[in-house]
Amino acid sequence: MTTFPAWWLPPGAPGTGAPETSAAPEPGGGAHALPDPADAPPGFSTAPVSDALRLHFPTPDPAFAGRLCDHLIEAGAHLRERRTDEVVASLGRAGARFLDPADPVRGAALELLPAAAGLSPAMAREVVDGMARDWTADRLGRLVRAQFPDPGVLDGFRPGAGGGRVRAFGHRLVVQLGAGNVAGVAVGGVARALLTRAPVLLKPGLHDAVLPVLYARALAECDPGLAAALAVVYWPGGAGEVEAEVLAHAGLVVVYGGGEAVEATRARLPPTTPLVAYSHRVGVALVGREALAGERAGQTAMDAARAVAVFDQRGCVSPHLFWVEEGGALTPAEWAGRLASAMAAVERRLPAGPALPEVAARTHQLRGTWEMKRAAGGGARVFRPDGVEWTVVHDPDPAFLPSCLGRFAWVKPVPGLERVPGLLAGVRPFLQTAALCGAGARAPSLAERLGRAGVSRVTSLRRMAWPPAWWHHDGGDPLRALVRWVDWEAD
Amino acid sequence: MSDLRLRDDLVAAMGAGVHAPLSDADFDGLARRILEHQWARNRVFARFCAARGVRPGSWSSWRDLPPVPARAFRERGLVSRGPAEAVFRTSGTTSGTTSGEHRVPDLSLYHASLLPNFEAHLLPDGARLDMISLIPSPLEVPDSSLSHMIGVVADRLVRDARYFVGREGRIDERGLGAALRAAEAEGEPMLVVGTAFAFVHLLDALARDGTRFRLPAGSRAMETGGFKGRTRTVPRDELYAAIQTRLGIPPGRIVNEYGMTELLSQFYEPVLTGGARLHRPPPWVRTRVLDPATLEELPPGREGLLCHFDLANLGSVCCLLTEDMGVEPPEAEGGGFRVLGRNPGAEPRGCSLAMDDLMTAIRGGGR
Repeated sequence: MTTFPAWWLPPGAPGTGAPETSAAPEPGGGAHALPDPADAPPGFSTAPVSDALRLHFPTPDPAFAGRLCDHLIEAGAHLRERRTDEVVASLGRAGARFLDPADPVRGAALELLPAAAGLSPAMAREVVDGMARDWTADRLGRLVRAQFPDPGVLDGFRPGAGGGRVRAFGHRLVVQLGAGNVAGVAVGGVARALLTRAPVLLKPGLHDAVLPVLYARALAECDPGLAAALAVVYWPGGAGEVEAEVLAHAGLVVVYGGGEAVEATRARLPPTTPLVAYSHRVGVALVGREALAGERAGQTAMDAARAVAVFDQRGCVSPHLFWVEEGGALTPAEWAGRLASAMAAVERRLPAGPALPEVAARTHQLRGTWEMKRAAGGGARVFRPDGVEWTVVHDPDPAFLPSCLGRFAWVKPVPGLERVPGLLAGVRPFLQTAALCGAGARAPSLAERLGRAGVSRVTSLRRMAWPPAWWHHDGGDPLRALVRWVDWEAD
Repeated sequence: MSDLRLRDDLVAAMGAGVHAPLSDADFDGLARRILEHQWARNRVFARFCAARGVRPGSWSSWRDLPPVPARAFRERGLVSRGPAEAVFRTSGTTSGTTSGEHRVPDLSLYHASLLPNFEAHLLPDGARLDMISLIPSPLEVPDSSLSHMIGVVADRLVRDARYFVGREGRIDERGLGAALRAAEAEGEPMLVVGTAFAFVHLLDALARDGTRFRLPAGSRAMETGGFKGRTRTVPRDELYAAIQTRLGIPPGRIVNEYGMTELLSQFYEPVLTGGARLHRPPPWVRTRVLDPATLEELPPGREGLLCHFDLANLGSVCCLLTEDMGVEPPEAEGGGFRVLGRNPGAEPRGCSLAMDDLMTAIRGGGR
């Protein structure tokens, strides 16, 4: 079993001893400075991630967490001297290391991610490639420009609307809590917070602790000053006193998690502390007639299968259900068969990770029930291998049904794609991405109606799994949601 | 006529009690006749079996029958159809989900299964006790299989039964307190039955008032059901310790019952007769632990999905695949299994909303 140190403390922070003793850590290795006994966390704990990996982290301790927050807030003062373009360049240099085949950072990520996130090695590579693409200087620069037509507002006061001046400050401390997200999401959040010149304390989720620690180590080599304002510390959920301590220090809190985790965080925050919450969401897809003809039908099925397979369907962007339009060259049931073939092909190239018992259990429940429905007549079809690597179920009832995940996709017929927005009414609060293909000239009006129905992103099947760095995640601004505006109204 | 004979033969096998072993050959013989019965009556099930290559006469053992998932009970007309003496429903419906429905054409078989099993595990000493029920009466909740079962027990196996929980789950604390005080004063041992959730509520109320009862020696409790979908959950050790503190019934006299609406037989821990804390199937039920990925049968010691083959399910389907994880400890030597709870601290692995969170799905254990 591998033990991964799921923490990274900036030089000079409590627990790292004096700055001069804080050697630059080995990328991918575990060369951390020895804690200064006077200032050290009270001890270390471990938590199993899988049969092959466990996390090692400072035992949660409110006093230690408080000192760490104070240290980060102090370090953050130096960040305000930094210019946006250099911050973009440094963050991008660290991020690009995950894409360089010769870089040990990428090697460590590919080695550790399968056990950390429960993915196959091939899928782990796909996830690192897809995620790290957004961590490069080019993409981060585009994110800044997409959010701030005048990026200079991040560096100083700039002319604003109506004659005054405006400046966008980062918060005094961003506390980012992960309690359920796919691997790689935490790094993106850290980079965005640092772009606003805010120091960050990240508590990653159990299954996303590896990449942010590797990122922090890489950043420390590329730009020690930036890394000095970042701490990554895992602690198990429910460490109430520690969370209360860090939330009390936070200028802004970002939380990724299920409804309960988000609600618990919200309830503990002082009323003046802003919260950016990313709850668990649902993705769907609409496949129109134009995508069912000729060669395009096969390509559509292949893109659809990949969208289901990426993250083993655990992403908020992952599709649960495909509404397929009737009246095309293929019936929805026939297209379900194409999708099943594509799922099998994707399984060969990007195998599913180890089956989780609870997902497998639910998969058998759904498969068996719809096989009984098939026996009752009425058009249900179940496509599946002997194992639980993937499942495609054609269900003639167009009503929305969520997937049990584990690469389980529903295919449902609709007489026209225009029906779909109405079918989304019951899941409105949970909607996120809708892939739309084969709609032809109807696409603009369908996008409008999907937006009104609560969808926050309309995309293609091919892009579905990989929203760009500047996307409005769950309908919010990626950077503008993190800043504190100051208006300067001069007479 | 042959159907009636089959029913009578099943009733006779159950009537022999939980200590009369049913050989594999006898079990298989009954299962074969049941399959023919179900094959003729339920065309959906017949086609479902045929699609897996299973037909009457084509199979070598009851193990060859394809398991039907508990979820299928939520779809009308798939597993149980036609006239019924009782219709039991799984608990807890929310918008977007339907409750499971188990239509029972012939209650006599249900009663034949539940009575000897309950008696052997809760009343092995032949005692005839007064019962305090924290489960609503069958008059209050006629579509609950658990209430029905307790009603049958009340009629046949106990001296007097009193119900202290209503349809909405509210506990009649005053009435219950008086009944417990009277039992204490009269020195009469009691049988207390309830869901884990009802016990927690009762114990919370007693703790709030600082009240402790010491039920007379010989008292015992049946506790059933987990905490699925509930906001307050309590580890079992803690629950049993609190039952001892507040009611005076020691953990060694608390029997857990594992049952589900979809199965007409139940599983009890034989703790009152000195057995281990394992759920023991009666002879007319065979429980297997299946590999969660492949549904292959697993050897003892390996954790997997529980799949029960219950001969009492003549009127629906016998081979039921649950979502419950379990294990048969090697030392049990076929004598029982342990139900494994979900790890409450498990962190989600992604940010997609899984089915359970979106629709409070009706689970196998709820009834």
